[in-house]
Amino acid sequence: MEKNLILQMKGVTKSFGSVTALSEVQLDLKQGEVLALMGENGAGKSTLMNILNGAITVDEGEIFLQGEKLEMNSPLEARKRGIAKIHQELQLVPELSIAENIFLAREPRNKLGFVNFRKMFLQAEEYLEALELQVNPRQPVKNLRVGEQQLVEIAKALSVDAKIIIMDEPTSALSNAEAEKLFTVIRKLKKSGVSIIYISHRMDEIFALADRITILRDGQFIDTVKTTETNLEQLITMMVGRTLTELYPLRQTLIGEEILRVKNLSFSPIDRNKKGLEDITLSLKKGEVLGIAGLMGSGRTELFECLFGMHPRLSKGEILIEEKSVKIKSPEEAIRNGLAFVTEDRKGQGLVPTRSIGENISLPKLKDFSRLMFMSKNKEKNAWKTQMNNLKIKAPSFDSLVSKLSGGNQQKVVIGRWLLTSPKILLLDEPTRGIDVGAKAEIYHLINELASQGMGIIMISSELPEVMGMSDRILTFCEGKQTGEFLREEATQEKLLLSATYKGGREENVS
Amino acid sequence: MSAERATVPNVDQNPKKLDVRSILHFLQRFQSILGLIVVVVLASILCVRDGVNLFLNPINLANIVRSVSENGIIAIGMTLVILIAGIDLSVGAILGLTATAAADLMMHKDLGFGSTLVIVLLLGAFIGWLNGIVVTKLSIQSFIVTLATMSIARGVARFWSGGIGIPITYGDEPNLAPPAFSWFAERISGVPVPAICFILLSIIFYIVLKFTRFGRYVYAIGGNETAGHLSGIKVNRIKIMVFIICGVLSAFAGIIHAAQLSQGSPNDGNGYELNAIAAVAIGGTSLAGGIGTIFGTIVGALILGVLDNMLGLLNVDNNLQMVVKGLIIIAAVVLQKSRSNR
Repeated sequence: MEKNLILQMKGVTKSFGSVTALSEVQLDLKQGEVLALMGENGAGKSTLMNILNGAITVDEGEIFLQGEKLEMNSPLEARKRGIAKIHQELQLVPELSIAENIFLAREPRNKLGFVNFRKMFLQAEEYLEALELQVNPRQPVKNLRVGEQQLVEIAKALSVDAKIIIMDEPTSALSNAEAEKLFTVIRKLKKSGVSIIYISHRMDEIFALADRITILRDGQFIDTVKTTETNLEQLITMMVGRTLTELYPLRQTLIGEEILRVKNLSFSPIDRNKKGLEDITLSLKKGEVLGIAGLMGSGRTELFECLFGMHPRLSKGEILIEEKSVKIKSPEEAIRNGLAFVTEDRKGQGLVPTRSIGENISLPKLKDFSRLMFMSKNKEKNAWKTQMNNLKIKAPSFDSLVSKLSGGNQQKVVIGRWLLTSPKILLLDEPTRGIDVGAKAEIYHLINELASQGMGIIMISSELPEVMGMSDRILTFCEGKQTGEFLREEATQEKLLLSATYKGGREENVS
Repeated sequence: MSAERATVPNVDQNPKKLDVRSILHFLQRFQSILGLIVVVVLASILCVRDGVNLFLNPINLANIVRSVSENGIIAIGMTLVILIAGIDLSVGAILGLTATAAADLMMHKDLGFGSTLVIVLLLGAFIGWLNGIVVTKLSIQSFIVTLATMSIARGVARFWSGGIGIPITYGDEPNLAPPAFSWFAERISGVPVPAICFILLSIIFYIVLKFTRFGRYVYAIGGNETAGHLSGIKVNRIKIMVFIICGVLSAFAGIIHAAQLSQGSPNDGNGYELNAIAAVAIGGTSLAGGIGTIFGTIVGALILGVLDNMLGLLNVDNNLQMVVKGLIIIAAVVLQKSRSNR
C-alpha cells in the first residue's frame, strides 16, 4: 500500500431492489491528485459517489480514510470527516450572502451567541481570495453567475477543511472561460494537498486535469489507469465494452419520401435548466428511425420540445412536414400536424396518475370520442380495448389506475395514447428508460412495426447500443449543436461517443 | 408447478387480514357518507328535549336544507376550482357583492326580475373571469389572486351601498322589488326553493364532471397539468372557464341569500369561502387537485350543516361551535390522508 493513499474503497456492492447498481467496486485516491471517474450513464458513478458522500449506505464493502475504517450515515458526517461533494445542481441559498452560504449552520459566533458577522466576512474573504474570486462576500449568491457560484461551493468545502472534494460534472453549466478558471483552481487545490474525484463526460477535460482514471461499466470496476499511459480509444473501449445483443430485432427497411425537414432551428431558453439549440438542420423519411445520441444536457430533449410547439416564442427556424412549411405554436397544433411526443419524464409530463388507463389513453382524442359535449363511452371503450390488446398492456382492466402499473406498462399506455392519434411522426425521448428488459424488447418490436407502416420516428437515447441497434441513421448532439451524422453501418460506439462529447466532433480525428 | 406452490400459501396466509383490509377499504371509500350518518344519528339522539325530537322536526330539517344550500352551491364551484389544483377565496365576497347589487338594482335602479338576474350573474362571471385570466396569463397562484379579488369585491360592495345593507321590499310600484324575486325564498310542496336549486345544480355538475369532455379535461389538468397540455388540451381556457363557473355559482348563491334575508348587505358572506373549502375537503376532494367528486362535496356540505344545526339545538356556545367545526375538519382531512397513503 502506498503511504500517501488517502482513501480506499474496497469491494463496494450496492443493490436497489433487484437491480445491482455496484458490484465489488474498488477505488483508491492519493493525496493531492485528481482522479477522474468515468463510465456511461448508469455505470454506477453517482451511486459510488453518494456512498462516499454518506448519502447512501453500502450493502457490502469497506471504506478506509487515511487507513481508518469509515462508517458514515449522512452527508453531514462525511463533511465532518473532510469529504465534500459539489453537486451538479448547486445547493446554495440564493437569497443569502456569499459568506452566509459558506458558513451556513456553522456561523462564527460571539460571546452572546449572536453571529459574528465581522469575523464571518473576513474569513469568507480569505477563502474567496484563495480561489481568486473577486466578489464582495456580502452580496447575495443569486447575483453571481453559475461559475462563480460553483467557486462559492468550493469555498464552502475548503472552510470545513475538506481533504477530498467530489465534483460531479462541474463544467456542465459553465462557459469555456469559467471552466478554465475552475481548472486553475483545481490545480491550485491539488498543490495544497487536496484530493479531487472528478466526474465528467468530456474527454478533453479528463486529459487536461486527471492524474489517473478509474473506469466503471454496468456497476463493475473495469480498471484504473494513469492518464499518461492511456488514450482516448482505449478509454472509450473500456467504458463501452459491450457488443450489440440480440435485443434489437432486424427491420425490413422500406424508407419512403421525406416526411419532416427542419431547417436552421435555433432555441434560446429563458429557463436556466434548458439548453439552447444552434442551427439544427435535419430530415426524416417515412419508415425511417432516426436516432439521436447525446449526453444529458446536450439539447436533445429541447429539440423535441421545439418541434412539438412547446417554445413557440423562443425558437426560430423552419419546419416542413410532407414538404409543406408549417408553423407549430402549441402542442395542440403539433398533434394536428401529425406529431406525437413520448416524453422522457413519464410521471411528470406523460401520465395523469389519478385517472384510469383508459382515460389516459384517450386524452388527446377526446373530441373524437364525444358527441356535442358528452363522452360516448362505447366508442371510447373499443379504442381502449384495441390499444390494450395491441400493446399488450398488462392490467386487470382499462379502469385500473394508471399509477398502479409497472414502468413498462405505463410507458405502453403513453405510447398507446399517441398511436391513437395516428401520427405521421413519432418523437420518442428515452422510450425505454427505467423499464425491464422484456418490456424493452416489446417496445423495440413496436418501433419496428410502426416504421414498417410508414411512420417516421425520431428516437433519443442515452444508451448507445440501443441507438445503434434501432436506428437507420444517427445524429449526435453536444452542447446544443449537431456534431455528427452516421449511417447505421458506419456507426460504432467509439465514434458516437467521441462525436457526442466533443463540441467540434465533426472535424476531430478519432485516432 | 413451483410458481403455484409459491402463490398458494400466500393466499392462505392472510385471508383474515384481507377481510379486515377490505372492510377498512370499504369504510374509507364511503367515509364521507358514513360521517354524515354518524352526525345525523348523533343529532337525532342528542337533540331531544321534553320527549320532543327537535332535530327530526320537519321544519328544522327544512331549515338545515336551506342553510346548506347556499354553502352547497358555492362549494360546487369550489370543487371544480380545487379539482384543477386551485383555490378561490373570493366566493364569499362575490356573494356579498352580488346580494348588494341585486338589492340595489331592484330597489333603486328599478330593474325587473330577469335583467337583475342576468346582470348579477354576469357580475359573478366577470370576477371569475378576472381570477382565471390573472391566474393563467400572469401565472400567479390562485390563492394570492383570489385573496386580492376578495378584497376588491368586498370593497366595491361596501362602496356601492355606502357600507349599509339595502332592504328589499316587494311591490309593483317603482323603487320596489318585483314580487317574482321572492320566489327564491318560497317553498314548492314543502321544499325550499334554494334546496331545489342546490339539488338541480348538484345533478348538473355531477353530470358535467362525470360524462362530459369538459369534466375529463378538469380531472386531467388537476392530475397532471403538463401531461394535459402536451395532449393538446387548452389548459388555460379550461382553467378560466372553471373560475367563471365558480364566480357565477357564487353570484347565484348571492341572489338566494338576498331573497332569503330580504336585503342585500355588503358585509354578508364573510368567511363563506372557508365553509365552502371545508365542505369540499370533508367530501374527500384532494387540495392537490385531480381527485374528488361533486357527491363528496354535497355530503361534506350536509355534514357541516347538520353539525351547525345540532350544536345550535344543543345550545353550545357560538364560539365553541367554531372550535368543534375546526376539529371536525382536521379529523376529516386526516382520514383522507390515510386513504391516499394506501
